[in-house]
Amino acid sequence: MDAITVAAVGSPMQAGRLRRLQALGVFCGVAAGAWLGGAEAPIKMVNSDVSPITISLIMVFGVFLARWSVPALLRGTSHVRHDVRQAPHLVIWAVLAGCMWAVANTLTIYAIRNVGLSIAFPLWNTNSLLGIFWGFLLFNELHYAGWKRWVGVLGGATGMFSGAALLALASSNQAAPGKAMLGVVAALGAGILWGTMYIPYRKAYLTGMNPLSFVTFFTAGELVTMTALAVGYRGAGPLWRELMSARALLFWLMLGGFVWVIGDLFQQYAAKYVGISRGIPLSNTNQLWGLLWGILVFHELEGGSHRIYAEVIGGSILTALGAVAIALSSATEREHSSWQDAAEREGQRYGIEGGYVRAGMEGREYEAGPSRRTWVDWVLIVGASGVFVVLAGVARVPRMEIHLGWAAAVTAAMLALLVSCGTVLWRTTRFK
Amino acid sequence: MPKEQNGRAELEPLIRAIATDVHFWIPLLVLLAGLVLLHELR
Repeated sequence: MDAITVAAVGSPMQAGRLRRLQALGVFCGVAAGAWLGGAEAPIKMVNSDVSPITISLIMVFGVFLARWSVPALLRGTSHVRHDVRQAPHLVIWAVLAGCMWAVANTLTIYAIRNVGLSIAFPLWNTNSLLGIFWGFLLFNELHYAGWKRWVGVLGGATGMFSGAALLALASSNQAAPGKAMLGVVAALGAGILWGTMYIPYRKAYLTGMNPLSFVTFFTAGELVTMTALAVGYRGAGPLWRELMSARALLFWLMLGGFVWVIGDLFQQYAAKYVGISRGIPLSNTNQLWGLLWGILVFHELEGGSHRIYAEVIGGSILTALGAVAIALSSATEREHSSWQDAAEREGQRYGIEGGYVRAGMEGREYEAGPSRRTWVDWVLIVGASGVFVVLAGVARVPRMEIHLGWAAAVTAAMLALLVSCGTVLWRTTRFK
Repeated sequence: MPKEQNGRAELEPLIRAIATDVHFWIPLLVLLAGLVLLHELR
C-alpha cells in the first residue's frame, strides 16, 4: 500500500499523482486568496452613494458575465453539456449553492451596518470551521488523517480565525452602533450559509464535475436570487433609477465581480483537489490581500496608532502561519482512499459511471469530448467583452489618492499567481 | 417506449435519489433559514 492507493471506484491511483494533485490544490487555494482579496480593490473606488444591495447586484452581474465567458474561453461550453449529461443532478446543487451565496452576501451588508466590519468579518469567517465540520461528517475528509494533520488543519483554521479577528479590528474604524445583536446574528447567519454552501461544492467535485461547469449553473442561482432580493428590497423603479445614475461606476463594480470570479475558480479547484477542510481556509487568506491593497494602494491606516499597526502585523502573521499549517497538512493516501469511498457512494446513489467519477478525482479527461469551441462560445466571449468595453467607455475614474506604483506591484503579484497556477493547473489536469 | 415516457422513467429515480439525500436537505433548510433571517432583519 506504499506506492499506490486502492481506489474504491475502480483501479488504483498513483501515489505520485495524488501528491501532485494535493500540491496543486494548495497552490490553487493560495491563488484564490490573492484574487478574492484583489476583488475588493475596484470596489474601494466606488463611493458610498450607491446602496449596498445595488452594489452587490451589479457585482453579481459582473460575476455572471465572467462565469459564462471565462469557461467558454478556457474549454468551450460543449464540456459543460458533457458534464451535465454525466451528472445531471448536480445542476440542482450548483443552483442551490448560488442562491445561498446571494443570501449570505446580503446578510453581510446588514452585519456590517449593525456591528461594523471588525466584529462581522471574524464571525462570518467561521465558515471555514463549518466547512471542516461538513467535510468530516459528510465526505470522509480527515478520516484516518492522524493527529498531526488534525492539529494542522484545526490549529491552522483557528489561527486564521484569530488573525482575521485582529486584522478586522485594525482595518475597521467604525464604531458599533445599536442593534448589535441583530448584526451578530446576521454575520453568524452569513457564516453558516457560506460554510454550508461548501456541501454542494464538495458533492460536485467528489462526483467528478468540472469546476468550470459547476460555476456556470451556480451563477444562475446567484443572479436570480440577487435580482429578486434587490427588486424586493428596493422596488423595480427605484432600483433602475439607481442603476442609471450609477452608470459611471458600473465598470468598477463589475470588474470587481470579474476579479472575484477568477479567485472563486481557483477556490473551486482547491476544494476539488484538497477538499473543503483545507481549500476553504486557504482561500480565506483573501483578507490579507484585501488589507495589502488597502494599506499600500489606498493609504488606509495612514497615521494610525502603534496599537493598530501591531494588530495588523500580529493578525497577518497569525493568518499566514495558519495557512502554512493547513498547506502542510494535505491528505494522506489512507485519507484519500476514504474520499474515494464517499465518491463511490455518490456514484452508486445517482447511477454515475465509475470511470467518470474516478477521472474527475484524478483530474483526468473522461472520454475525449468535443474540444473545439463553437459559435456559441465566441458569442459569449465577444458579448461579455463588449459589455465591459462599453461600460469602460462611460466609466469615471474616481478622484482619490491611489499609489500607482504599489497598485502595479500588487497587480503584478496577482498576475504572476494567475499565470503560474493556471499553467500548473493546465499541465496537470487540462482544467479538469 | 415513447421518448416522453422514457424521459419520465429516467427522471423519477433521479428525483427520488435527490429527495432522500440529506446533502440536499441540509443546504436547502439553511437557505430557507437564511431567507427568514433576512426577512426579519429588514
